[in-house]
Amino acid sequence: MIRFSLNGTPAEIAPDAMLLTHLREALGATDTKVGCEIGRCGACTILHNGAPMNACLLMGWQVEGAEITTIAGIASVPAGEVLVRAMEIENGFQCGYCAPGVMMSLVGLLSRDAAPSDDMIEEALEGNICRCTGYHSILRGAKLARDMLKETTE
Amino acid sequence: MKISRPESLDDALSLIADGGVAVAGGSGFQLDFSQGVPAPEHYVRIGHLIPTGIEGCTIGAGTPLEDIRHAGIPLLSEACATVGAPNVRRLATLGGNLAWGKGCLIPALIALDAQVETTAGRVPVLDYLAAPSGIVLSVCIRPLAHAFWRKVGLRQAFTASIISSAGTLLVLEDQIANVRLAVGGGATPPQRLSGVENWLMGQSIWDVDPDDLKARIESEITAPDCAFRTSNYRKRVAAAALTAGMLGHVEKAPTSAITRPAATPAPDLTELSRADGGNRWHTRPDMPAKIRGALEYLTDKRGDDMLVGRILRAGRAHAKILSIDTSKAEALEGVKAVVTHRDIDGLNGFGIVFQDQPALCSDKVRYTGDPVAAVAAVDGETAEKALSLIKVDYEDLPVVDSVEGALAEGAVQVHESGNLVTEVIHDKGDLADGWAKAVHIVEDTYVTPRQMHGFMETEGGWAAPEGDGLLMCAGGQHGARDRLQLSRILDLPEDQLRIVTSPTGGAFGGKDELTVQPALALLARKSGSPVRLHLSRAESVQAGTKRNPMWLKMKTGCDAEGRIVAQEVDVLADSGAYASLSPGVLETAMEHVVGPYQVANFHARGRLAYTNNGAGGAFRGFGANQMTFAIECQIDRLAELTGLDPIEIRRRNLRTPGSPGVLGQRVAPSERLVEMLDASGASPLWTPFEVGPDEIAGVGMALNYQGNGLGTIPEDQADFALALKDGKIVALCGLDEIGQGMIASLHAAVSAKLGCGRDDVVAVFGDTKAAPDSGSTTASRGGYVVWRGVEETAPALEAAILERASARLGRPVEELKIVPGGIGDALANTGAPILSFAELGDIDPIQEHYAFPKTEYTKGNARFIFAFGATLARVAVNRVTGFVRIVDLEMHTAAGPVIDMASYLGQMEGGLVQGVGFTLTEDMPMRDGNPLAKNFDTYMMPTVRDVPKAMRVTAHEGLDDGDPFGPRGAGELGIGAATPAIANAVADALGKWPVVTPFPQETILDLMEGAQ
Ligand code: FES
Ligand code: FES
Repeated sequence: MIRFSLNGTPAEIAPDAMLLTHLREALGATDTKVGCEIGRCGACTILHNGAPMNACLLMGWQVEGAEITTIAGIASVPAGEVLVRAMEIENGFQCGYCAPGVMMSLVGLLSRDAAPSDDMIEEALEGNICRCTGYHSILRGAKLARDMLKETTE
Repeated sequence: MKISRPESLDDALSLIADGGVAVAGGSGFQLDFSQGVPAPEHYVRIGHLIPTGIEGCTIGAGTPLEDIRHAGIPLLSEACATVGAPNVRRLATLGGNLAWGKGCLIPALIALDAQVETTAGRVPVLDYLAAPSGIVLSVCIRPLAHAFWRKVGLRQAFTASIISSAGTLLVLEDQIANVRLAVGGGATPPQRLSGVENWLMGQSIWDVDPDDLKARIESEITAPDCAFRTSNYRKRVAAAALTAGMLGHVEKAPTSAITRPAATPAPDLTELSRADGGNRWHTRPDMPAKIRGALEYLTDKRGDDMLVGRILRAGRAHAKILSIDTSKAEALEGVKAVVTHRDIDGLNGFGIVFQDQPALCSDKVRYTGDPVAAVAAVDGETAEKALSLIKVDYEDLPVVDSVEGALAEGAVQVHESGNLVTEVIHDKGDLADGWAKAVHIVEDTYVTPRQMHGFMETEGGWAAPEGDGLLMCAGGQHGARDRLQLSRILDLPEDQLRIVTSPTGGAFGGKDELTVQPALALLARKSGSPVRLHLSRAESVQAGTKRNPMWLKMKTGCDAEGRIVAQEVDVLADSGAYASLSPGVLETAMEHVVGPYQVANFHARGRLAYTNNGAGGAFRGFGANQMTFAIECQIDRLAELTGLDPIEIRRRNLRTPGSPGVLGQRVAPSERLVEMLDASGASPLWTPFEVGPDEIAGVGMALNYQGNGLGTIPEDQADFALALKDGKIVALCGLDEIGQGMIASLHAAVSAKLGCGRDDVVAVFGDTKAAPDSGSTTASRGGYVVWRGVEETAPALEAAILERASARLGRPVEELKIVPGGIGDALANTGAPILSFAELGDIDPIQEHYAFPKTEYTKGNARFIFAFGATLARVAVNRVTGFVRIVDLEMHTAAGPVIDMASYLGQMEGGLVQGVGFTLTEDMPMRDGNPLAKNFDTYMMPTVRDVPKAMRVTAHEGLDDGDPFGPRGAGELGIGAATPAIANAVADALGKWPVVTPFPQETILDLMEGAQ
């Protein structure tokens, strides 16, 4: 078995198991969503040592010793709380099913760079499909988070 | 599966020689498996053995593409930006992209004259590709002064490659001193265009004739056709891209087919945004949990005793079932129940209109997604294994793969009742007389796609036995109707079924019909255990309902002043294997057959046919958006012929408020078409705007109106209740939260009416046991149902609350009022409560029943209430690729008072972008009844890069004095006019109208060339 950390708690996975399936099926950690299982929707986005990746493309052997953060652990990520707050204010989502993945892509970006350009925000979201919103509400939330982060550092 | 981590490259090589498959980032495997490539038995990890990082022009094979993308490497960094998406690029490596052989980056590597260092030695990249051997260790590139790159895919970003082209160029004293040109990517084999290179070498760059160069490149490229794009298109765009890369773009002026309207003063418009909304902007009550991933969807339910279900699909488009043998599956350890049609006690059929769809097929399958059996087992793996052990013998039947074929004489019958599902005919006036008056006539056939709903949460949920009955928790759009349909299948009284349908992760009409519920119910009852079942995306793509493709043949004539005098319409619609709501979709299309215009003479016929092309049914817009596409393009084309601007021609034809509807029915007051035209005339979008050097600009508009409610024929009623419980005002409403903001609307409507705070409200919904039946969450009816429910019940609850407060406080009712948090003093100007709701105790639900407003007309299905909109689009049409980029979308709406601003805005923006997908990228082509797109790798919904840079939405909220019908539905308005607005904008750019959606890029290029 491969050991990794899931939102700060030790966890195990078989080397040939898909991380997403393992989370949702074996561990019952359904906060991470499933949308395509081929890396093409972003619903399953998690942080792998702080970097956003698709849990459906990661197998057990790829998370050996890694810190995996899912949406349930977003508060532990530096920009997490601010992003959550901004997204609430802007009503970023509708059905919300894409939200766990979108939030992890964005928090990964904002934690590396608290002042990304509009273009970088869009690029960070290229792999996340949202069917409900047309993305603008999500972009408004991300930009508000960026502005709020700026205020806290000034 | 075995996974090795060899200690050395030599060990790795010997494991690979023994059949192991090298893996570094592993980002491409899942996609390969989904396309039928078998999973390797042995992975050999090489990531730790190969170099990572960038040193000068040498790049380690293990370097993630996301690192290269940000490293500022000539050509390669730009190329990396177009591979996958950043999250995928963090896993994907340069070596992997190369070794895969189909990688998008290969043309860039060829143009960079890359040398590939492998364990077998150093070879030029083309030699490596011709005979890959050894493990790739690093790549050394040799850039030239200029580089150009263009990847053409199926949408703007995160797309498979249709063709990628790359070039590098060195010009010394105007002479071409070195040039390398390459294409490849996806199905296009990687190739260097040496013939063209040789021809170019030594020429003066100024002497190269662009057309000559393009033609030479085009003839040298070898590129295949695939299911999505032709060989010709591939060659054409690569040639254009390389030519433009070398020589730049030739100037090109827009065609401006559309006369700019004179500016009109804007009507009263509310700008919908947080900035403009002020205290009307609230965080939706469901938002915090959704954002934190804390909301449990019905497919997220887990439990120790919960079994996992799977469904066996036909996998063939049309066949007789000869036998079904489940014995081996039943014998498999861990399998708890296997169900087939033999387990159905009641009616083996469902369907909202006709019950023509089997819960589990018994004698025949009619589309590849038809369910034949289902299994519940201890886990998903076991259930899948069991499916493979079920033996079904089929006798294939000829596939009915087109509507024309289905309606042809002697066609194979999909159902015994015949292939014609419904025919709708509307006539008015004297057509001969109309045509005699026509001065301009426009004739064309508009084609609309088999759009997929693409809700991010696929169909699924869980079910459990409850006493003698059943608890069914599955995403849906009308619990009470699901209950009725399930009770027929299970032969159980309805009161033994409890249906929970919320929260649902998106529906858009695609969960209106039953989806997984029959199989889930049968499994839970047979196994006696809770069972969960969640379709994989691939299964959802195959089995789920889609938008009915339509062919709308239009002939429209106007007089010299632009007044439409005659129209003939012939519509064909593909129902797929079953009816579901497709008859309603066709009816709705036909009900919008002359748009919101007064047309004295018309003849319209629509036919809906069964085929073996998947299953069609409800989808946001419900036929209206298809017809609006056709009508709104026709009217712009007449405007061009008559020399009128798009607003003036519409103004001349607008229906008179209060006049009968298209079918002659009485319609509701508060028509707002003039206001929508005025808002369009006031739009800043008509002014010139910047586009790229390879783009042509265009502006267009379209008007729409959308009928609300189910119409005159279906029953359309609602129940609604308000109560006071545990200090909260409880709104009991049987509608579903599918993302649209129903909960927010309840909080908003109740608090606005009663004067309490939004926080004082608790919504109970989407559960047939907990909330009354409020009808379906479809047909833009939710807004009205909520508003009317509150209007009906709030006065009685208010009276009861105040009466009780009066008794508690010993003060007359007149001195009291409801305020946020409780009861306030009506005489004081402080808003603070003097008694909290909690102190009042509970008040039982006050329930009312009401009908959705209808007109008396019943000769056809006609709507009474309408909402109105206008959409404007600015587009930039790409001259190289034929892609249409939406620069701006602006939508003006008139659907009465806005209940909750954020939800309303979301419905409009989301609808607009679904319309963008419909117009530009989304289709589900079929071959012999098999869908060609299997997942999100080729079914192209808009990404964040495909949506307009700017969107503006306004609401004209006013109603006529005395209009008793309140807010109109907003769910479908947004998608209504997006397509024709974009099509008209493209026509403005090119001088010609695209009529097939999604617009094939090749057609756009043809239109462009035709226009030149
Ligand atoms: S489930 Fe992983 S990207 Fe779609
Ligand atoms: S909010 Fe529904 S998919 Fe994004």
